[in-house]
Amino acid sequence: MHFPKPDQSMDRRSFLKKGMHTGALIVSFPIWKHFAGKDTDSLLAAEAGLPAGLDKESLRKLLEVCLSRGGEFAELYYERTVENSISLDEDKISTATRGLDMGVGFRVLQGEKTGFAFSDDLDFTRLKEAAETAALIASGGVKEKPEKFTALSPPSYYLVKVSPDTITPKAKAELLIKANAVARAFDKRITQVGVSFYDINKKILIANSEGLYVEDSQTLTSLGAGCAALEGQQRSRGYESKSGSYGYEHFDIKLAEGMARTAAEMAIRNLPAEDAPAGEFPIVIAKGYGGIFFHEAIGHSLEGDGIRKKTSCFWDKLGQPIATSVVTLADDGTYRGAWGAVNVDDEGCVGQNTVLIDKGICAAFIQDKLNARLMKMKPTGNGRRESYKFPPYPRMTNTYLLPGEAEPEDIIKSVDKGLYIAKIGGGNVQPTTGRFVFSVTEGYMIESGKVTKPLKGIMLMGSGQDVLKNISIVGNDLLVIGGGSCGKEGQSKPVGFGNPTLKVDKITVGGKKA
Amino acid sequence: MDIKKIGEEVVKKAVQYGAEEAEAVIENVKEFNVSVRKGEIETLQKSVSKGLGLRLFINKQLGFSYTSDLSPESLDETVKKTVELAGITEAKPWHGLPDFGPQPLAELDLYDAELAEIPDEKKIAIARDVERIAMAQDKRITNSEGGSFSNTEREAGLFNSKGIAYVFKESRCSFGAYVIAGEGDAMQGGGWSSTKRFFKELAAVEEVAKTAAQKAIEKLGARPVETKKVPVIFDRYAAPSFWMGLLFALDGDAVFRKTTFMTEMLEKSIASPFVTITDNPTMPRFVGSVPFDGEGNVTRKNTIVDKGILKMFLYDSQTARKAGVKVNTMARRYGYQSGPSAGFLCLIAENGKDDPASLFKDVKEGLLVTGMRGLGTDVTTGAFSVGCSGFWIVDGAKAFPVDGVTLGGTTLDILKAIDKVANDLDLRGSLNSPSFRVAEITVGGKKA
Repeated sequence: MHFPKPDQSMDRRSFLKKGMHTGALIVSFPIWKHFAGKDTDSLLAAEAGLPAGLDKESLRKLLEVCLSRGGEFAELYYERTVENSISLDEDKISTATRGLDMGVGFRVLQGEKTGFAFSDDLDFTRLKEAAETAALIASGGVKEKPEKFTALSPPSYYLVKVSPDTITPKAKAELLIKANAVARAFDKRITQVGVSFYDINKKILIANSEGLYVEDSQTLTSLGAGCAALEGQQRSRGYESKSGSYGYEHFDIKLAEGMARTAAEMAIRNLPAEDAPAGEFPIVIAKGYGGIFFHEAIGHSLEGDGIRKKTSCFWDKLGQPIATSVVTLADDGTYRGAWGAVNVDDEGCVGQNTVLIDKGICAAFIQDKLNARLMKMKPTGNGRRESYKFPPYPRMTNTYLLPGEAEPEDIIKSVDKGLYIAKIGGGNVQPTTGRFVFSVTEGYMIESGKVTKPLKGIMLMGSGQDVLKNISIVGNDLLVIGGGSCGKEGQSKPVGFGNPTLKVDKITVGGKKA
Repeated sequence: MDIKKIGEEVVKKAVQYGAEEAEAVIENVKEFNVSVRKGEIETLQKSVSKGLGLRLFINKQLGFSYTSDLSPESLDETVKKTVELAGITEAKPWHGLPDFGPQPLAELDLYDAELAEIPDEKKIAIARDVERIAMAQDKRITNSEGGSFSNTEREAGLFNSKGIAYVFKESRCSFGAYVIAGEGDAMQGGGWSSTKRFFKELAAVEEVAKTAAQKAIEKLGARPVETKKVPVIFDRYAAPSFWMGLLFALDGDAVFRKTTFMTEMLEKSIASPFVTITDNPTMPRFVGSVPFDGEGNVTRKNTIVDKGILKMFLYDSQTARKAGVKVNTMARRYGYQSGPSAGFLCLIAENGKDDPASLFKDVKEGLLVTGMRGLGTDVTTGAFSVGCSGFWIVDGAKAFPVDGVTLGGTTLDILKAIDKVANDLDLRGSLNSPSFRVAEITVGGKKA
């Protein structure tokens, strides 16, 4: 039993587990095969109350312990997460799994220093030990008492009527079976079909020494279908998913069947794909998946920690033009039903819609409490963490480019020879240089203003700064999508992103044909 | 925490509740982690965590659960729910525990008992020192992402209803720094680290600091080049991710499903005769070693590619049974929260015969790759494309740093075009490679 971490040393910055204040920043989609199965029914419904040991009096005592060495700020984050998953593979329901994780993370701040500890044992003695460990970071300061709690009731941006945790795995299985049948029947060259459904049901409680007390129930639901096609030696893949902060009422058989058809169509359409060209080209990015591009290539470089430390290429650009005037970029935790929507972030700040780039001008940064305080700015509701086992960092929620006025058709027509990027599978960025790569999972040539043959092996590469200056047309067809997961500081977090159809005048494409 | 007692009881209970076969994995992990920036502590973390994963089979139907709550009530609930979950899935003839039972485990000496005795102050001092020394190396170093030290002590167990009851302890400690050279749009970052099982075996702080600084400085002024086909040398520290991309294409289940371009390649030549790849997690005290794999098979050295010939695909017991082949001791687990799957444990691309300097010889114009972004290989199609940074080579010597270029081709073409493999293997972790040279790859950059 071993969990070797791929040590992609050097240029990528992932060499220490969680040690470095770094980490390769990667967004990727869980393509169907990698949906690890997880499942349950209602017994562990997210509505479960708080554990007995976490009454307000105990919370207050624990925060007192946190401040006992002179820390300026203390915070407690309780979490109970139930994950369910069910998947179909090779015409059969193959896995049904469930998982439970719960615990409390303690954080103490003094100046720029953070003390952090957690306990997955909710016994008061164990919790007190963890609080004492976190407290150790501080020394010598004035011993403050935590403020009296005031409960916060934020507005809700989740679209959840029926908790997926209350639906039996059998009912979910029915969606998968129907979707499989449609994909199989679509074309005899479809050789593999995988469909999966998973839901994450998180109950959190945040209390801090400033008197904040807030609870939130967060639900994320995802249905995805993937197909593989084979003809002779030609292979291809197709996939489609719907993921968001949705209740089960957003999923039905019709949706599952439509999704299967879309995935099958994509696989068949890409069977004759040819090798991608290499060199500099204009590209048109289709609505939706291009958002990953803004998340990676720009969003990460606008996160408050890199800005404060001056390690991001945008650290001194506030108020300055960094993009063409057609570019307005937002990070929006209030986008209803989105995969990255937050009523409150993981520090208890209410979700916000922040315009990061306003008509080309760098307008704001992505902030958590710590960086905002140190930079004398306001938190933007972006303090996020994977779980109680990690401290929060400034992280994106739903990052998208606002729509412009152009018709998508006209944008394609404006390109004589270039590429049409339909789906992006994942990418990563080095925020210091802004350099990124993206692997394209569905792309085509554009010839004389028309989308023509499918291509394989397309890699996009460049720097965020350059791309922002090369976005020339933005369409009127914004689509925000979910299902992606962003990695930073060794933590993984669901994020949403989106874009309207847009044109980048030139970008480096890595392909086989010189 | 008595891992053995909990593990054996959970397996017993699963059988009582109706499981035909059951397997529990448990871990108990103690971690320390400090990050320092510009001499000041940024984050100090300490934690102890635990968890259990349960996999069971009833009529060849599979159920899986995990929990971080190991109280008797929670475990009882977990077992019951997992039995119910198995009832929802459909039977597959290859489902079930591995065919093997208990075997003697090798003593690999992977736990440093002294690690627990090292005071936090000393670890913090190492994190401070490595950053300070790195920053002092050169006046062009202007900023820092920090220095860090972390260590893990982990006790893990695997128990099943075929009598396997393994418990082992391991430790790991690591430190490093990441610094930034240059200013404004010309900033370049670079880092280095050392990771070992035993505290005493960690590299010297000065050595790690100097390497980190050099990695940042040498990239200053990096620029793209024009698109062209040239010889490409993969530096030994950049090469591992190339092999990782390849290994994903050798997944036995993907072969069975014919979703990988390697499907028809067993016992055929997939690479030049200079290429030999093994999986060898059996070296004592080594950071990439482990006594048993993710389903309880005793580990051994496996040869995956022998002088260019593909000798095996990667299987766990389920996928091996399905494909009708023998399992090959390379089942992985990504924590207790998921079941085992086929994969490498400690990959070693074996040393070649060439002196590292000889790779540069005869290269009139070419690329030395020191950093890769992405894994390159598309498992389905075999297309290869990756972003990279490194150095442009002119007349056999490094001419200037390069960034923002891509490599494009097909994985099989690249493997076959490997014309030199160096003898400079440096075993650092679970992915290890010497430097190697490919006769020709398309480097994509500015307009040709």
